[in-house]
Amino acid sequence: MRSTFMGLEASKRGLFTQQTALYTTGHNISNANTLGYSRQRVNMQATQGFPQAGLNQPNYPGHLGTGVEAGSIQRIRDEFVDRQFRQETNKLGYWESRSNAISQMEDIMDEPSQYGLNAALEQFWKGLQDVSTNPENAASRKVAISRADHLAESFRYMDKQLKTIQGNLGNEINVATDRINSLLKQIAAINKQVQEVEPNGHVPNDLYDARDVLIDELNNYIPVSIKRVASGGNASAVAEGSLTVVFKPYGTDKEIELVNGRDFASIEVNGTVADSSGSKQINGNDLSNVFSSIQISGLGTTESITYDQLEPGKGKMLSLIDSYGYDSASGPKGYYVETLADLNKLAAEFAKAFNDMHKQGYDLSGGQNGIDFFTTDSGPITAGNIKVNDEILKDPSKLAASGAANEEGNGKWALELANLQSKSQANLDGATFNSFYQGMIGKLGTDGEEAYRLNMTSEKLLVTLSGNRASASSVSLDEEMTNMITFQQAYNANARMITVVDETLDKIINGMGRVGL
Amino acid sequence: MRVTQSMLSNNMLLNLNNSFGKMSKLQNQINSGSKITRPSDDPVIAVKGMGYRRDLGQVEQYTRNMNEVNNWIDTTDESLNQVGEQMKRVRELVIQAANDTNTPDERAKIKKEIDQIRQHIQDVGNTKIADRYIFSGTNTSKPLFVEATPPNADGNKIINADYELYDGTGVPSASSDKLNAPKGDVEIEVYDGIQMKVNTPGAELFGNIDALMDKVSNLLDPERVSGPATSEEISEALGGFTTDSKSDDITNIHNKILEAQAEVGARQNRVELMENRLSLREINVTKQMSNNEDVDYAKAITEMVTSESIHQAALSVGAKIIQQTLVDFIR
Repeated sequence: MRSTFMGLEASKRGLFTQQTALYTTGHNISNANTLGYSRQRVNMQATQGFPQAGLNQPNYPGHLGTGVEAGSIQRIRDEFVDRQFRQETNKLGYWESRSNAISQMEDIMDEPSQYGLNAALEQFWKGLQDVSTNPENAASRKVAISRADHLAESFRYMDKQLKTIQGNLGNEINVATDRINSLLKQIAAINKQVQEVEPNGHVPNDLYDARDVLIDELNNYIPVSIKRVASGGNASAVAEGSLTVVFKPYGTDKEIELVNGRDFASIEVNGTVADSSGSKQINGNDLSNVFSSIQISGLGTTESITYDQLEPGKGKMLSLIDSYGYDSASGPKGYYVETLADLNKLAAEFAKAFNDMHKQGYDLSGGQNGIDFFTTDSGPITAGNIKVNDEILKDPSKLAASGAANEEGNGKWALELANLQSKSQANLDGATFNSFYQGMIGKLGTDGEEAYRLNMTSEKLLVTLSGNRASASSVSLDEEMTNMITFQQAYNANARMITVVDETLDKIINGMGRVGL
Repeated sequence: MRVTQSMLSNNMLLNLNNSFGKMSKLQNQINSGSKITRPSDDPVIAVKGMGYRRDLGQVEQYTRNMNEVNNWIDTTDESLNQVGEQMKRVRELVIQAANDTNTPDERAKIKKEIDQIRQHIQDVGNTKIADRYIFSGTNTSKPLFVEATPPNADGNKIINADYELYDGTGVPSASSDKLNAPKGDVEIEVYDGIQMKVNTPGAELFGNIDALMDKVSNLLDPERVSGPATSEEISEALGGFTTDSKSDDITNIHNKILEAQAEVGARQNRVELMENRLSLREINVTKQMSNNEDVDYAKAITEMVTSESIHQAALSVGAKIIQQTLVDFIR
């Protein structure tokens, strides 16, 4: 036999459940603009019918419904899109950082323009031509020499600026390392909370969202994969469990755990050179400290990841390492390292060829002075230390412009020097100085073009994927408004039901047994 | 597919961003007049542009060098022309003096004029362009003629001792540095690998002229050591009587001057040809450079206008979509 107040109870359940749904709608609307928020849905389910199965069950025709309950509150998420998104986000991380590094290099090289190294070289050759037409004129010599000074300064400036950016990249590696460690720590902290609440049957949707945002960001830095570990106890069917974050070295089957439950590893990006405190962490202070390995420690054994074990084209960290420089079997490599090496080669070959030629000429006083035109303060000539010999700066007559002794009006040697510009240099793979530099710029241009294009492509793909993700998870206000009306009306209807039950009860309680009154 | 507000607004932001990017690139192109601002915009254009800049720089430099060439050659031509004129006058004077009807007094007057002309020719031999003696070969800081020490009473300069005046007999010897130096050629590059000789080494020519003038002046000197010259002696200085081209008479010297002038004239023709070639090259390189990297304004502006209208359309559509939700309709 059903109870007298069963109708009231059933409708009360309806009221509560609709209210839950209404409040969840409110929560969705409030978080419509929250980063990483997934809309939530109340899974309503009918409560157990009456009568229940049992030995002493009342004999009753049919199975009477007893109302509704909120079975669970679940977030709407498409895991497959998440996976795709994370695969793409580490490509974007790589190309974004690379195009950034190349763009900065382009800014420094400043070509084609009237101010770059190409123009400085051009001006210098012109200055020498002017000396060849006016060899006895101190002014024309001075102009040529100060242009040589400007050229040397251009070399030094470029070298310094490139090294500054290389240092910044090293520093960025350090910052990125800190960020990765912080992300790992936060993921582990969320795992801990999840592990604590899930066995009690709770489903912490908002923690899942926060954790997913962290994993997205982690994937921007390094490609990682995740595994779910369900919680024990009375965990809900829709509970997601704690996440194990795994890094797979490229070309191996090994899996290195970065986060396991509440435990997390810490990583260190090490170079080849230890500093005074014994740390090899790359921080951009010592540019010779190029990347050698990533150390992952804290979860069991310490693992060491070499450059070859980082998957090409994936993750901001690898991009930074590629730009900053890494150790290889054939010496340091990397975008900035190689460009600086090319620049050094150009400066050294240029200085050598020019000095050799200059020594064979005759200066204004009539003899061969045999001094180097370009020198350094110490060591071999590089782009960073090339300068015009002080003797020549002080005394322009020392510029050997004449092709024969005691001929001040002879400008043949200045012309020979100027014509070095079209001489191919065996040590520069047969290129002239200008064409070697043009080759550098050409390479920079094509690399930049590639990086920008791939950056654009992954950006576009990522937009599509985040559209797909938003399509599943993001809050639609229209939808929430519709839901709001639905739930509100359902709530109202439940209230009306209670009134109806109330009226029926009123009839029985207050209206019955009063015949004739 | 489910579409939500945030997707709409994200899409709109992205599209606006893209169209801003496109417009910014076009604006850059229109403002700078160049298709590219950095090598990665188009590496081929960038590298070719650097090559053209180098070519253009060279042409500019050669054009500058050409001015120098013109300066040298025109000045040389003008100087030699003057010397030629003066030699004509000398010939007239000597013809006049050769008449035996002239008294020694009259010959002395003629000698005075000859002496003046001699000094003038010496000055011409010391012609300078911006502190450079143009007839001194590559020793451009040393004049051909210097003041004697002590100065000659008649004001005549003497040939620079460094140059060991060629005495007109025999061939100038290259074994002596002093003779070799003033013969040096001043050459200026006027094109890739093409060097043009711009000077006329004058030590020999002016030395010969000065020796001749000295001889003539001596012949007309009434107080000549070997006694006053006869008309035969004087008219011999006119030359033309023998075919000996080496003899230092007026006719021969005049011919040498004409030869030098002819050579300068020939060089002037060559300079003109080279100048034409250079200006053609400049036009070509400039054109190529412009084709390579200059923006096609008609195209860029049309694209700009198109992008602008697309941008505006995107803005107004976006504004309409974004402001409306169901909230606006349920009260």
